[in-house]
Amino acid sequence: MNILLGPLAADLVLVIGMGSVLVTDLILPPGDKRLLGWGALYTLLAALLATFAMELTGPAIFGAYVGDPVALMFKRVFLAAGVLAALGSLTQLAERFERRQGEYWVLLLSSVLGMSLLAGARDLVLLVVCFELMGVPLYVLAAWARDDRLAIEGALKLFLLGAVSSVTLLFGISLLTGICGSTMISEVALYSREHTNPALLLGAALTLGGMGFKLGVFPFHMWVPDTYQGSTTPFVAFLSVAPKAAAIAALVRLLIAGGNALLVGVVPMLITLAAATLVMGNLLALHQTQVKRLLAYSGVGHMGLLLMALATGTELGLSMLLFYLVAYLFTNAGAFLVVHAVTGDEGDDLALFEGLYARSGWLAMAMLLFLLSLAGIPFVVGFWAKLYIFLAAWAGGLQWLVLLGALLSVLALYYYLRVVISMFMRPPPTPIEPIVPDWGTNTAIALCLLFVVGMGLVPGPFVEAASNAAQGFDGAIVAMPRSTAP
Amino acid sequence: MADEWIPAAIYLVLCLAAPLGLLFGAFAVRVRARDQSPAKFDTYECGEEPDGVAWVRFHPRYYIVALLFVLFDVEAAFLFPWAVSLRDAGLIAIVDMAIFLGILLVGWAYAVRKGAIEWQ
Amino acid sequence: MIAGDLRVFLTVSAVMFCIGVYGILSRRNAIGVLLCLELMANAVNLNLVAFARFSTGTMGQVFTLFAIALTVAEVVVGMALVILLQRTHRDIRLDVAEEMRG
Repeated sequence: MNILLGPLAADLVLVIGMGSVLVTDLILPPGDKRLLGWGALYTLLAALLATFAMELTGPAIFGAYVGDPVALMFKRVFLAAGVLAALGSLTQLAERFERRQGEYWVLLLSSVLGMSLLAGARDLVLLVVCFELMGVPLYVLAAWARDDRLAIEGALKLFLLGAVSSVTLLFGISLLTGICGSTMISEVALYSREHTNPALLLGAALTLGGMGFKLGVFPFHMWVPDTYQGSTTPFVAFLSVAPKAAAIAALVRLLIAGGNALLVGVVPMLITLAAATLVMGNLLALHQTQVKRLLAYSGVGHMGLLLMALATGTELGLSMLLFYLVAYLFTNAGAFLVVHAVTGDEGDDLALFEGLYARSGWLAMAMLLFLLSLAGIPFVVGFWAKLYIFLAAWAGGLQWLVLLGALLSVLALYYYLRVVISMFMRPPPTPIEPIVPDWGTNTAIALCLLFVVGMGLVPGPFVEAASNAAQGFDGAIVAMPRSTAP
Repeated sequence: MADEWIPAAIYLVLCLAAPLGLLFGAFAVRVRARDQSPAKFDTYECGEEPDGVAWVRFHPRYYIVALLFVLFDVEAAFLFPWAVSLRDAGLIAIVDMAIFLGILLVGWAYAVRKGAIEWQ
Repeated sequence: MIAGDLRVFLTVSAVMFCIGVYGILSRRNAIGVLLCLELMANAVNLNLVAFARFSTGTMGQVFTLFAIALTVAEVVVGMALVILLQRTHRDIRLDVAEEMRG
């Protein structure tokens, strides 16, 4: 047997956990399904532990997968997002969707599994399969509140754009593999360094477009606010972080491999997308009156920063991208979990946040720190994340994009502060009803807060970890030819 | 850099022009049958006289069974190349396919247990 | 470079893909949109099979099988969502699901 499974130990844990939850669901009598959530949570935690405790490096599945440090870092991001979402949904599922808990956990685990494999995909077939394994469960999970008209509408929008995006991606990849005559990304990169062929560029551009839908960058962002508004909030905490990190992981593998072979061609498109996303995300967030939609548009803006780091195509850019993703994971997931704790199932109007400080000081303080981190204020992690992206982009020759980003960050302060003002300065509705979140959501928020503040005060070790990961990247980064940098 | 994009752009324009040209062309030329006998407007029924309307409403439950059918139908597509190359691939292929079918079997058991196949 | 015969296949598949895109943008019926999605997916399959004949060989054929299975998984979920749309909105025209804006 020359199939090496060693580097896939964490993914194997997920597979086994997923199968066990599915089979246990069939055996358990109805009314006893709470156990399944615990099973899923422990599976995710075990896989996360495996990424730290075990040696998961090296190629596997005939070289189609490689466990390099970048893949490992992405894996941890996905698994952590899964853990946070699982903690947040435990109580909600047991109370509101008592009969359908098993499916939820199986789908969540399979989505995480898809992402986790995607992080190290060196082969285009594996990349496409993982992309779908990640995407298809998300459509179902988005429609979980299946009697809710808005949930179905949001899920349909996610599905339609997601399906079009994956077919576009497939079309682009079919061009790439066909012209280069191989499905290995390294071969494709090698070929495209030596030949110039318009169809190759078209393939790369279509692939980027397909990923753009999943990322929710500007012209493809329409599903983002609607799906976030309609879906159950703990799931949104997952949806707003993990699939985006996964799409970035796939783009990193595809574009940066072999010395930016494909990135060179699509850099103009990437920069245009980044600039448009930054501008539109922040502008559209300005007049939102619903917190989930506001966070959705702010998330769109953040994707612009990620594309900016990707467009540099340097090792510094890649390492700062990784650091940013970790920061974004805890900040954004934390913010959505607070929204879940505050609003429950009653929509997400900004009015629900009025006087939150009086109703629950803990939630209000947590939300304040998350919002400050999203806005990029010093001493929480978002500041460092944004600063490092700007530094990397400046060094990579994207000075005007950095200036644009800095300008829009100031604008972004306005809409984040609106939520803060609502929480601290408006009177709460009388009589004051204190909010007591369930323990799972509380734990998840506390974890997020720990990282947001901890990484904000001591960013050093995390930056170092990100730099080390970028240095060990499998796809050989070389400096971009100067002529193509704008 | 820019010259590389020009053929790609031409290709893209051609691709867009073909469907749009067809659609607008058909609209402009007004392609339609000259002979307008009532038989032309009948539903095509392979030589039979059509009976009843074509717009029959299906029960949604039909779709759920159809979904299951489509899923398992496509899995069968994997069996054909396997069967053709079985002689060369040997024992490992049989084990692989057993695992694959085992996973499908779990899926099937799941569908049965959840009552997706019951026609109430 | 791309061989002449292959170019014919690629052009047909590109046209198919674009007709699919046009259909998705213009159809109102959810089932119609799913059909157009299937058309786009088949354009991909045509591409893959044509390339398999000319350059990628067996690998291309294997990729086609995978692509077929993936698209079916996706369309089946879409179909299930359309059934849910019918349940909540009593209609499967997509413009009924246009309540959220902004």
